[in-house]
Amino acid sequence: MRDLHLSLNQTQRVRLQAALDQLESDASSTAAAAASVTVADTIPVNHEDNILKGHGTSDLDGQVVATLCGVVERVNKLVYVRALRSRYKPEVGDIIVGRVIEVAPKRWRLEINFSQDAVLMLSSMNLPDGIQRRRTAVDELNMRSIFIENDVICAEVRGFQNDGSLHLQARSQKYGKLEKGQLLTVPPYLVKRRKQHFHHLEQYDVDLILGCNGFVWVGQHVDTTAKESTLLSDEPSGKEETDNAVPVETRRNICRIANAIRLLSVIGLTLSVESVTETVEESVRANVEINEMLGAEFYVQTVEREAQRRASLVRKRR
Amino acid sequence: MVGLSEGEKQFLRGGIEHNLRADGRTRHQFRPISVQTAVIPQANGSARVRLGATEVIASIKAELGKPTVLHPDKGKVSIFVDCSPTAAPIYEGKGGEELSMELSVALERCLLGGKSGAGAAIDLSSLVLVEGKVCWDLYIDALVVSSDGNLLDSLAAAIKAALSNTGLPKVNVVLGASPEEQPEVDVSDEEFLQFDTSAVPVIVTLTKVGKHYIVDATSEEESQMSSAVSVSVNRNGQICGLTKRGGAGLDPSVIYDMVSVAKYVSQQFISVLDSEIAAAEASEE
Repeated sequence: MRDLHLSLNQTQRVRLQAALDQLESDASSTAAAAASVTVADTIPVNHEDNILKGHGTSDLDGQVVATLCGVVERVNKLVYVRALRSRYKPEVGDIIVGRVIEVAPKRWRLEINFSQDAVLMLSSMNLPDGIQRRRTAVDELNMRSIFIENDVICAEVRGFQNDGSLHLQARSQKYGKLEKGQLLTVPPYLVKRRKQHFHHLEQYDVDLILGCNGFVWVGQHVDTTAKESTLLSDEPSGKEETDNAVPVETRRNICRIANAIRLLSVIGLTLSVESVTETVEESVRANVEINEMLGAEFYVQTVEREAQRRASLVRKRR
Repeated sequence: MVGLSEGEKQFLRGGIEHNLRADGRTRHQFRPISVQTAVIPQANGSARVRLGATEVIASIKAELGKPTVLHPDKGKVSIFVDCSPTAAPIYEGKGGEELSMELSVALERCLLGGKSGAGAAIDLSSLVLVEGKVCWDLYIDALVVSSDGNLLDSLAAAIKAALSNTGLPKVNVVLGASPEEQPEVDVSDEEFLQFDTSAVPVIVTLTKVGKHYIVDATSEEESQMSSAVSVSVNRNGQICGLTKRGGAGLDPSVIYDMVSVAKYVSQQFISVLDSEIAAAEASEE
């Protein structure tokens, strides 16, 4: 998501500056601020202990110096610097959304906003007829009927290969091809690892999948129990076009949620289902048109609301 | 440009049919536009225009030159567009040349009128200093920094903004003794003449996707287009230029309809653009 450049008028600029200042002062009052470092800052370390220098640190004239901008973390004897903005760092079990870029022998290669492409093996994917069996040569020739180039797929990280690229699996019913919606790209550090990444927003009839790699899918809700029956009777896609058109009300909700995600990613706030639904509800309450959600006024209002929310949290803690 | 899956393409086309595009805009709405002027201090005039994620920079340099023999009473203007590799990796080296040529020719057609200079948006006669001997040569250079669809509209808006930011230095011309001699010119550093841009048109590109046309397409929407018509309209609602791209043929009635839609949309766009340019000039001071 590239930056939004908004033309703010004078009052909006003043309000935005006030809200940002309040956010900064709230942030600096927490303990995390004390541990933040920039490049070439010395890290306060007790030199008597045998400290292990981890990622993001370096030894300079006997001092432990940070080589990244981030927060200092200490785990027993290990001291390292965790960068706040970094590339996606995959872990086993992460839910990710990716796009197929190549159909290779017995595997699909997916692009997932990482330094290397991920691999989804044919054996890690459920066959259309649902039977568990050994993949034959016929299955290999029919790979294109399952996924083709440019398809958007939801999968889970199964492990790492020797060269560092990812192995994915999509064995459960909730994984697989995503249709009837739009894919958004946000910075990966805005999506924190939670228990749930699949969200079904009932009041909007919308599926929201927050991929840990920064790809977010917003689309019409697909009933995963009904998925199996549609896979068994594979119809040509031409017929489906008129049958399964997305209704207008759902489409409006999808656009609203997508704009809320774009707005939050531009401001730099963590994406979670609560923050997204709150932004959408606020936009409906304020009668903001869907495309005006990306405008200057709603942007300033959202930043102000976040500043107030954090201020009240800090007050509650005291 | 990444590809789109079948499901995403259907969602896009369905959205355009229902008058609700991916970011909530209707078919006839532009993305928010932001204008900055005087971004290149060495140039006589410059502007940077951002239309959503599309970003272009236009600069105008004026040099003294000799008018052509065919048109001794007119100055010269040339437009050149360059697509930077930062916009897309395919523009590196010679990759962007075809697109640059296409954009330059389309802009020249819309802004400069016919070969004789008739119908030009920029009054070429105002550029002449001494008939047949000295005139201003305007070199309009545009750079595409980031591309997310609708390059032609943003380039035209950037050129309009840069022209309103242009100041031509006052020149004192001393005619030589005989008509064959070159006159002496004294270029003033202090006084500047502002350009009159009220006649400069804007370009509105209508992209046909399915049965409907949309204004200001993003690069995803452009990948689904069958054809596109770019209409250049000035403040009085007159058509100054017309360009059609894309392989699919269009019925003449469809073109009529597109032109009338472009006229209607352009009036609003011109007023928004003018207010943005005025705000940019005011904030720059």
